[in-house]
Amino acid sequence: MNEEIQKQLIKDHLIESFEGLEQFDDLLLAIEEGRNDSDTLNKIFRVIHTIKGTSGCLGLNKLEGVAHVGENLLSQVREGQIPATKAVTSELLHLSDALREMLTSVEQHDNEGDTDYTNLLKKLGELQSNPEGSHESTPGTLSAETEPATPAPAPTDEDAGFGLFDSEPAVEAPPTPAPQATNAPEEKSSSEETKSSVADSVIRVRVEQLDKLMNLVGELVLSRNQILQYSGQFQDDSLSVAAQRLNIITTELQESVMKARMQPIGNVWSKFPRIVRDLSGELGKKVLLKMEGKETELDRTIIECIKDPLTHIIRNAIDHGLENPDQRDAAAKDETGTLLLKAFHEGGQVNIEITDDGRGLNPAKLKEKALEKGVITPNHAERMGEQEVINLIFAPGFSTAAAITNVSGRGVGMDVVKTNIEKIGGSIDVITELGRRTTFRIKIPLTLAIIPALIVQSANERFSIPQVSLLELVRLEEEQIKADIEIIYGSPVYRLRGNLLPLVYLNEVLEGSTSSDSQEESQSESINIVVLQADGKQFGLVVDQIHDTEEIVVKPLSKQLKHIKCFAGATIMGDGKVALILDVLGLAQQASVISEAQEQNLNGADSNQAASEEDRQTYLLFNVHGDGRMALPLNSVARLEEIPRENIETASAKEVVQYRGQILPLIRVSSHIPGGTTSTFTEGDNTLPLQVVVHTTGEKSVGLVVDSINDIVEETVTVSRKSDQTGILGSAVIQDKVVDLLDIEGILKTAEPSFFEA
Amino acid sequence: MGKTILTVDDASTIRKMVSYTLKEKGHEVVEAADGSQALDVLQAKQVDLILSDINMPVMDGLEMTRQIRSQPSNRSLPIILLTTESEPAKKAEGKAAGATGWIVKPFNPNQLLAIVDKVLN
Repeated sequence: MNEEIQKQLIKDHLIESFEGLEQFDDLLLAIEEGRNDSDTLNKIFRVIHTIKGTSGCLGLNKLEGVAHVGENLLSQVREGQIPATKAVTSELLHLSDALREMLTSVEQHDNEGDTDYTNLLKKLGELQSNPEGSHESTPGTLSAETEPATPAPAPTDEDAGFGLFDSEPAVEAPPTPAPQATNAPEEKSSSEETKSSVADSVIRVRVEQLDKLMNLVGELVLSRNQILQYSGQFQDDSLSVAAQRLNIITTELQESVMKARMQPIGNVWSKFPRIVRDLSGELGKKVLLKMEGKETELDRTIIECIKDPLTHIIRNAIDHGLENPDQRDAAAKDETGTLLLKAFHEGGQVNIEITDDGRGLNPAKLKEKALEKGVITPNHAERMGEQEVINLIFAPGFSTAAAITNVSGRGVGMDVVKTNIEKIGGSIDVITELGRRTTFRIKIPLTLAIIPALIVQSANERFSIPQVSLLELVRLEEEQIKADIEIIYGSPVYRLRGNLLPLVYLNEVLEGSTSSDSQEESQSESINIVVLQADGKQFGLVVDQIHDTEEIVVKPLSKQLKHIKCFAGATIMGDGKVALILDVLGLAQQASVISEAQEQNLNGADSNQAASEEDRQTYLLFNVHGDGRMALPLNSVARLEEIPRENIETASAKEVVQYRGQILPLIRVSSHIPGGTTSTFTEGDNTLPLQVVVHTTGEKSVGLVVDSINDIVEETVTVSRKSDQTGILGSAVIQDKVVDLLDIEGILKTAEPSFFEA
Repeated sequence: MGKTILTVDDASTIRKMVSYTLKEKGHEVVEAADGSQALDVLQAKQVDLILSDINMPVMDGLEMTRQIRSQPSNRSLPIILLTTESEPAKKAEGKAAGATGWIVKPFNPNQLLAIVDKVLN
């Protein structure tokens, strides 16, 4: 046989054997679970039998020898001479590892490697002889490691390795008397084609070939888009008919090629039973692994990407999630923990759920750990919601393992899992019930190569926005802009159904131009807001124009552009021009609508300091010069007083009153905030008493004079936009109105510097 | 002259190996992955010789041999069984089922060609 054919055969053999061994492992695990029917036993026997036979024919003698010993053992198990005990299956799993190792060595180094398997062979041999002393072939086992066992006794030309049974008809009679007419076979020959090729109805295709095909289809999709656009410009019926046809065929072709690249998720999952078995054994836990939706298909590139994250979650679930039998017993649970893997399609996405019925996540413990590790500040911790606390497991530098075991906690944490999943446009959530269960829900797109996207235009450039991050589109006409967009200290927000939506002007982000340019421009006419979601937070992207949604082919950015985090890639539009694909998360960070910088801000800030963060607090609402609504956290208010105007005295050119045996300086709030006047108290027609908010720090107090005190409310306040104006910290929506938060410290610094003197 | 030879094995590598070897000598080779597929092929195609593995899923080589022999038209169709030295008993079973000859796995291409020549001539 020529060398090339031999090489090709070896390659085929490797693929076939690897597949066989995977099945072998699965079946062994099934046997461990008690499914040792003759069908299963036959199947596992056949895998090793085939590897042995083919290896022998291809001159892979070491493989053949090791497989041979395994075959002997399996043959006895199959015949029922040896029970399939855990000792047997364990050793057979080791056999499978050994075979795999040799096959891998053949694949990589063209030889079977020089690992010594004497120990394994010895153990496999012992298993054969021990349980009720088996009959044949045991002594042959050790010799098998070097040479195929010597042929058994048999009749004729034994040494040749073949022969004829010299019985009746054999050769002479000319084959086929063919009673069923000569053309019958002819007729059937077409069905024969299909039938005889049953074995060949599945062919193997190189992955590169598929990738190339996908790439070409991508190019075709682009050309199709161009032709469609082009045909629209002409009033030519036959052209548009042809273009339509091209459109339909291309779409179909695209779907077919995508399908060809699809693999059932079971391909990844097939490794898990072994992992679960080994891991639970190591940790002394009992785990039942259940799988639902193995046949759910997704693109092979995605399969590659989720392999490691899934493995990590499963390891975590067994290590941290599930309790050991004693603990489970104490919690009145079944000793055996259940780990459920579930996959299904939903809304053009693949959902994967990993659920364990273990101890669940304990928010109090998580918080404690996070504090200890400095992931959050005490201040922050107090104000976190439960789900927010649970999501801490995805925070960088966070790990709940008390000690780093060699099971999980290998330096990669859930943050890496989350990042990897988000990299492929997916998301991960965790739902937990203390003491009952934890579920990780992963949503990932079907494919990465061609995605639906919205095409927008900004500063005469087109950009595409992946549809997964798109929530809604809002168009505002001129008068609505005035009414609904509140420019809060230089930062525009749009009130979308009662929530403040920070606005990001794409022009501004990309060109670094000053905000006023783009705002003035856009304020003159209607504007388009694309409401996007990144990292669980929403923001509005203001663009010049919104075009259509389109299927775009994602092309990676070149090396030089890769570091720009605003862009995820590029695509080619119908007219042949390039459009950059916006990376919504990167864009949001660039525009600081959801950046880490903000988190830092929060961590370092006092509880009454502004930043965009949910915050349940009690506020005092009051008015300053007419209808200017302002608020102050109630904890900075000592008392509310009404002071008759005639009590005002003057000391060092400042207005004061005597108050509880002290001199209380008075500060007119209206003269320390933008738009204020500087009239004094003694003026004015008013004979009503002054409304004074007394603020005390330590021994010192000061009276803030306001126009009227309105209300005290307890609300969850979203403070958005820090202000750079003196006297004001920022703005928030309270009772459906935008309210400025008073910066007491700032006002005191200018109005009453002595307040801070020791 | 080239003959039509049916190779039956669940290991595709073995089928390919047989196929390459025999095609080089000008034979036509048809493949089947188990005994039942082989019977289907026989229905549709005239075959001069069968080379079959014994241990296969769905239908093994012995059962296939018995079924082929039960058809009058195929009484004399040569069937060579691939046996392994680890199962010497199979050789006798093969004979009883009506096989024409045997070849021990692992075999090399020369052994294969030798027995094919021996049977066909």
